[in-house]
Amino acid sequence: MAQLGSTTGDKTHARVAVVAAGVVSPLGFGLAETLESLRKAKDCVTPVKRFSVAECRCKTAGQVPDDRLADLTRKLRAKRLHRASHMVIHALKEAMTQQPQFEPEMTVIGTTSGGMSYGEHYYRSLRQSGSLRHAPTWIANYPAQKPVIDAQEAVFRSSVPCEVIANACASGTNAIGHAFECVRSGRYQRVLTGGYDALSELVFTGFDSLQASTPEKCRPFDRNRAGMVLGEGAAVLALENLELARQRGAPILAEIVGYGISTDNFHITQPDPSGVGARLAMERALLSARISPEDVDYINAHGTATIFNDAAEGRAIGALFNGAPVSSTKSMMGHSLGAAGAIEAIVCLLALEDQFLPPNINFGTLDDHLDLNIIANESRPAVVRTALSNSFGFGGTNASILMRTVGA
Amino acid sequence: MSLSIAGMGWVTALGNGVDAVWERLLRGEEASATPISEQFGDRTYSAFRVPESALTGLAHPRLRRASLISRFAAAAGLEALHAAGVKVNSENAGRIALVFAISNGGVIYTKRFYRDVVETGAQAASPLLFPETVFNAPASHLAAILGVTGITYTVVGDGAVGLLAIRMAEDIMTDKSLDYCLVVGTEEIDWLLCDAYRRWRLLRLEPPIEPFSKQKRGMILSEGAGAIALTRFSGSAEAEGRPIIVEHAHPGGCYAKRAEAEEILKGMLRDLNQTEPDFVISSANGTFIDQAEQRALEQVIPNAITYTAKPALGESVGASGLWQVILGAQALRNGELPPVLHATPNISLRLSLSRMLVPKAHRAIVLSSGVNQQVAGLRLALRANEAERASN
Repeated sequence: MAQLGSTTGDKTHARVAVVAAGVVSPLGFGLAETLESLRKAKDCVTPVKRFSVAECRCKTAGQVPDDRLADLTRKLRAKRLHRASHMVIHALKEAMTQQPQFEPEMTVIGTTSGGMSYGEHYYRSLRQSGSLRHAPTWIANYPAQKPVIDAQEAVFRSSVPCEVIANACASGTNAIGHAFECVRSGRYQRVLTGGYDALSELVFTGFDSLQASTPEKCRPFDRNRAGMVLGEGAAVLALENLELARQRGAPILAEIVGYGISTDNFHITQPDPSGVGARLAMERALLSARISPEDVDYINAHGTATIFNDAAEGRAIGALFNGAPVSSTKSMMGHSLGAAGAIEAIVCLLALEDQFLPPNINFGTLDDHLDLNIIANESRPAVVRTALSNSFGFGGTNASILMRTVGA
Repeated sequence: MSLSIAGMGWVTALGNGVDAVWERLLRGEEASATPISEQFGDRTYSAFRVPESALTGLAHPRLRRASLISRFAAAAGLEALHAAGVKVNSENAGRIALVFAISNGGVIYTKRFYRDVVETGAQAASPLLFPETVFNAPASHLAAILGVTGITYTVVGDGAVGLLAIRMAEDIMTDKSLDYCLVVGTEEIDWLLCDAYRRWRLLRLEPPIEPFSKQKRGMILSEGAGAIALTRFSGSAEAEGRPIIVEHAHPGGCYAKRAEAEEILKGMLRDLNQTEPDFVISSANGTFIDQAEQRALEQVIPNAITYTAKPALGESVGASGLWQVILGAQALRNGELPPVLHATPNISLRLSLSRMLVPKAHRAIVLSSGVNQQVAGLRLALRANEAERASN
């Protein structure tokens, strides 16, 4: 193992259960639709029509259809909300339908860009001397905490303290990891967590300017991969002290058993090519869970399909795990940034519940420099007791969480 | 578990360095407002900007292209670690956590990046600017400068985010393998932000900020950073030399409607007031939130002396909570509060309207009420040494 600095250690803390979950993504609305899309290896990437992509290399993204978000807009106030709020509300409502008595002490949510498209409307209107009649609405709904507070208000009708983590593409996994540590430490009994992000022109153009996004299909770990496609969505997980959850008879969907975080400081947009940052995060998650790499049955990779990420992450996975099945479900739905870690945690949850391996679609031939067991193009049944989910982001921030079936 | 403040760093419109800024506040000084003109109109705003001299000597390759927000953060963070006597090396790089508090983020580069897209098209989008638009860019720059390899979080919120970041630090420090958590709040300003806050009816075009005024004329934005290095309190005031302890960081709350802010603040104050404070560092900034804070204070801690530095330093949003904690710590250590500027005499709170001695003060409440639905608070305590306790 690489040198372990810290972040975990000799802890004998509370066990942490996932007692409810909700999701909205290009794969579908809710757990059932998401499961079906994963099972069927559905390609949910579609042409972008929300803003002009004429001058971008990439012209596609995984998108949440507006018409399905619209069922909330009957109320006047809801009409003003950013679509990110609508996504979080949907995800939270699904989770709380499963556990209506769940009362969180805190919410920890990851995002990268909040209500960015409202900021774009505002700037364009200023620049082009357009109507600024809606400017106060755009400005008030732009901040990153707003969708979280909107969702809490819609579901709980009460004030729940919220922390919004913006650690670039690792935000969702960082949020879940921090929430996990909060419950595991015993300081909290119930924490709501997850992540969200909605597609925006600024971010889309940004990744295009970096030539990180591709005009082709998203092909993680493939020899011919050419980059990422963006996505969007929201996912929420209700975490609870496992013993307390059992005492009140709550169904336990899975257990979160480990979390690892590292900062590799190599470059603001590129990972350390050696994969040391990714490896440290995964090793720390294993150490935190007190399990060995052989215990991991499925790895949901960050797998953006960029040359640099997949090379570094693939190298780290290959060095640490001996043939564990790997997929990047971003191939099916794009990279939803701050939501990605949370949606992919749900993917792991479904893999654990339904005993199958989610696929890595658009896959042809493995990168010659990698030694990975890719779940190519089709889902397949398997015994899945423990799953690892990775998320890595700008700024060299790396995060991994480990989930397992209860009783495994 | 209590955390003690091992070091602090401060970059403000009144200069940099904790003691230097503090002295100027004690003298009743107010930062000079700088005019900022709109790009697309003829309106001019006022803002409290950090003087260039505050960043002198800050040189690192990672900061070459970095925006002001990252430079402010680096300056404050390095000062706090220096004051704490912490040198990051390969031995302890994983034992120091970084938590950043940000509200508006890198607005200067974000606007510039998007301006190019709007004016010239996506082909003109700069791959150099884009990474600097990301909320965690300042944290990643400081992590790289220091060589920190473990936990680095950026927390985003409104003016309450600084105290929420400290609460997060408290949660993180339950991990015994960590020695320190450096909490940094940072913010930069631009005409676009001024315009946005004005359209939101929260900004006034020129100073002063009139705290607790019923007229709610608005705030003046400011930029800068504040940083505190936190470590676990050993339990010995003698060993740590009159440490300032974060005795209780409240998890805060969210208000869905403005009218709810007061009730949430009252509940939070009741939790924090279990040990009566000697003074309160308020976040009053001349907006609607002042009235909620005032009514909550009047009802829960009517006799507490109240101070706000925002008329002197401006509203630095993401950095403001850290500034307030630095103010509270300085006041406890020095037994003195600066004067609240531009407060009208008819305010029913017990304001420190002139420089005020509080020699026996041992506890302070810091209250951060954001304008976008979040509130947070914490209680600071000065742990006196044996000689002081005897004299008291």
